Amino acid sequence: MKILATVKRVPDPETSIKVKPDGSGIVADNIKWVVNPFDEIAVEESLRIKEKVAGSEVVLVSVGAKVAQEQLRTGLAMGADRAILVVAEDGLEPLAVARVLVKVIESEQPDLVVMGKQSIDDDSNAVGQMAAELLGWPQATFASKLELAGDQKTATVTREVDGGLETLSFPLPGIVTTDLRLNEPRYASLPGIMKARKKELKEIEVGALGVDVAPKARLVKMEPPPKRQAGKKVASVEELVHLLHTEAKVI
Amino acid sequence: MPEAAVNHYKADLRAIEFTLYEHLNVEQLFALEAFSHISRDECDAIIAQCHRFVNEVTGPLNGAADRAGCTLERGVCTTPAGFKDAWKKLFELGLMAFPMPVADGGLGGPHAIAVVLEELQSGANCAFNMYSGLTHGAADVISNFALPEDRARFLPPMVDGRFAGTMCLSEPHAGSDVGAAKTRARHLEGNVYAITGTKCWISAGDHDLAENIVHLVLARIEGAPTGTQGISLFIVPKIWVNEDGSLGGSNDVTTASIEHKLGIRASATAVLNFGENDGCRGILVGGKPHMGMKQMFRMMNGARIAVGVQGLSVASAAYLNALRYARERLQGSSVRQFKDPNAPRVPIIEHSDVRRMLVEMKAKVEGMRTLCVKVALHADLAHALHAVDEAKAIYHQGQVDLLTPIVKAYCADQAFRVAELAIQTYGGAGYVQDNPVEQYCRDAKIFSIYEGTNHIQALDLVARKLQQHGGENFTAFLTEIAEFVAAHSDKPGLGAEIRALGEASAALQRAAGSLMEFFMSGKIDQVTLVANPFLEVMADVAIAHLLLGAAVVADAKRTKDEDVDDDEPNRHEVDFYSGKVMAAKHFVNFVLPAVHAKVGAIVSGDRSALDMPDGGFSTAF
Repeated sequence: MKILATVKRVPDPETSIKVKPDGSGIVADNIKWVVNPFDEIAVEESLRIKEKVAGSEVVLVSVGAKVAQEQLRTGLAMGADRAILVVAEDGLEPLAVARVLVKVIESEQPDLVVMGKQSIDDDSNAVGQMAAELLGWPQATFASKLELAGDQKTATVTREVDGGLETLSFPLPGIVTTDLRLNEPRYASLPGIMKARKKELKEIEVGALGVDVAPKARLVKMEPPPKRQAGKKVASVEELVHLLHTEAKVI
Repeated sequence: MPEAAVNHYKADLRAIEFTLYEHLNVEQLFALEAFSHISRDECDAIIAQCHRFVNEVTGPLNGAADRAGCTLERGVCTTPAGFKDAWKKLFELGLMAFPMPVADGGLGGPHAIAVVLEELQSGANCAFNMYSGLTHGAADVISNFALPEDRARFLPPMVDGRFAGTMCLSEPHAGSDVGAAKTRARHLEGNVYAITGTKCWISAGDHDLAENIVHLVLARIEGAPTGTQGISLFIVPKIWVNEDGSLGGSNDVTTASIEHKLGIRASATAVLNFGENDGCRGILVGGKPHMGMKQMFRMMNGARIAVGVQGLSVASAAYLNALRYARERLQGSSVRQFKDPNAPRVPIIEHSDVRRMLVEMKAKVEGMRTLCVKVALHADLAHALHAVDEAKAIYHQGQVDLLTPIVKAYCADQAFRVAELAIQTYGGAGYVQDNPVEQYCRDAKIFSIYEGTNHIQALDLVARKLQQHGGENFTAFLTEIAEFVAAHSDKPGLGAEIRALGEASAALQRAAGSLMEFFMSGKIDQVTLVANPFLEVMADVAIAHLLLGAAVVADAKRTKDEDVDDDEPNRHEVDFYSGKVMAAKHFVNFVLPAVHAKVGAIVSGDRSALDMPDGGFSTAF
């Protein structure tokens, strides 16, 4: 079984993010970069399938700057077999990323694509859905459980939806996007890190794929959230209720 | 109800990166044959994984484990909640394999990087790290001295975490005086001996983390000479291990008690009885009798550097917590507005005395880190150049030998002092268990006591290491400083401090001269009287040299972009380099001058402490 898992390079969620003074984006220098946590869950799930189904292969794919090699190496160190980096130095919009992925999927022909449900930097939550639509493949998003039939021809996915769980079954090939509770990703072990350097990491220039990646939207301005104002101390419960009613207008 | 897991640990990865690559050029190692199998990228990835592991797994256990401690019930020692799971994850990660030789299933990584991995692990949870640290130390001795069949029998399970390890030296009446040990070994067959005796103060001596514990025990074979000359080293597993590696029965090793300690309370410190029922067997290490002290010294030298790194790690954690608190805690107004009662409250980091404490902590922490990495780098170069350039290898090994007692004693002392300053920075909030610094302070106290007290380190320095190789190691140490001073003494902004280093180094040489006079005139008790102050002087000179070396590097980078506005993206890089320069200047101007007072005491030849009549201390009892 061949599984394709996506890996996006994103700022470490622990990093404090600064917006550039001109509002054109975030300050990218001197911050720590990691694998998008939802993608890490996708890699882990792919590896667990590989461990169960003999002869499986896990291929990682990233679309981004050349430095995203670092995050692909992390995925390889976790245990993936090889990696593909589609080099696009300028950030792409979700639809462009989806089109690029479709090209990679068409050439790799995986049985299953596992992706993070969204990346923690832009929070678009769109690429998995778009790629499935472009391919005409079934999709199951926000997976909290993934099971394959014994013949590996169908997948059953439990999704977390408002107020409960929904279980979907669909024929492969298909796309699954991962939610937080699907699994707890393993650490890249030291022997794994050492082996990763010898694994294949193929780079493809985005221009060579012949897809339209031109942006359809323009970033007008990015600004940090307003600083929190100091709170107000009140003398009594009555005053608090009064202010919540008249000033904050929440009750 | 179990205490909630809170991770107070913070590491300064930027400062670590600076020390490794910008200041000490650890990258030079990867070009050498001995380390060609590993690269900087891989080391960086390993440091990143280790950082994540300690913040997610061991850091959150630190406080609760301290409160819970270990328990011993009906001879079974239990570690605090979470330790077993952390142990399993640690070995899945494979951190233990990093510095071990490739031939023994390790990665053969450089010690300079291993120091960083140790700093992260020990800083996040000093007590937990005792179990893996001792296991590594014992595995290292077996790797170096045991027979091939014993290496094959014990090392693989020690590298993968199924077995843990300890070192058993001390006995109830033989602590610093190891030669007085009474544990006996009676020959049975081949290299197997019957072991009987009691060992105490055994760190990680008993626990529930691994299937088995491999004790390395010093014992005297019947008929052996007295003193340290007649001591042999034995591999004594808690559960016997058959030649095919399978587990046999109990090996008659019992835990009599565990200590109730000031700090590192989650590390079980055991009293162990060997052969109470005459059923304890040990394997003579390497099949060579009477070599125990030499073999154990390898573990002790490694462990002494490891204790220095423990000091660094706890000090760094204490400093960064104090810094975070000082930036957040509002109290009082700025002293510049002392006349205005309505002046706004400021974070305490704006008060001069808090800044003084923080800069002192920063300088000492970063000085310790540089010293630890530098000594490890010397060890790596000695190993890598062994077959290539013998003279250089001898020089590097000489610096390891000379500086080992300084790494151990200085970092041990300063860890406690830095943790104490961290408490002072917090004020009352630092004295209570809601904040982590009181634990850091308690944990740090043991560093100056175990693994050879700091006085044992000072004796090693003045009686052995200064004269080693006809004094060449010490001369090389002084020459390196003299060359640094000559090269940079006119440097704008740092020249005065660099010249002050030259004067402190000259004072150190005067003190060494006095030591020689005391030796020559047979005043051995005078030598031992001033051994500790001498070690402190040499350490302060070494640290000042390293901090100024870092400052010279940082100053060159800082001046390139000194015109950066506050809003500029790389403002914090400029601040980072400025911090290096200012910490070095503060250390030289506020801490280093004490060298001259201490040298004054050493050369004075004052004997009051020695001549004091016993009743002079007090006649109260």
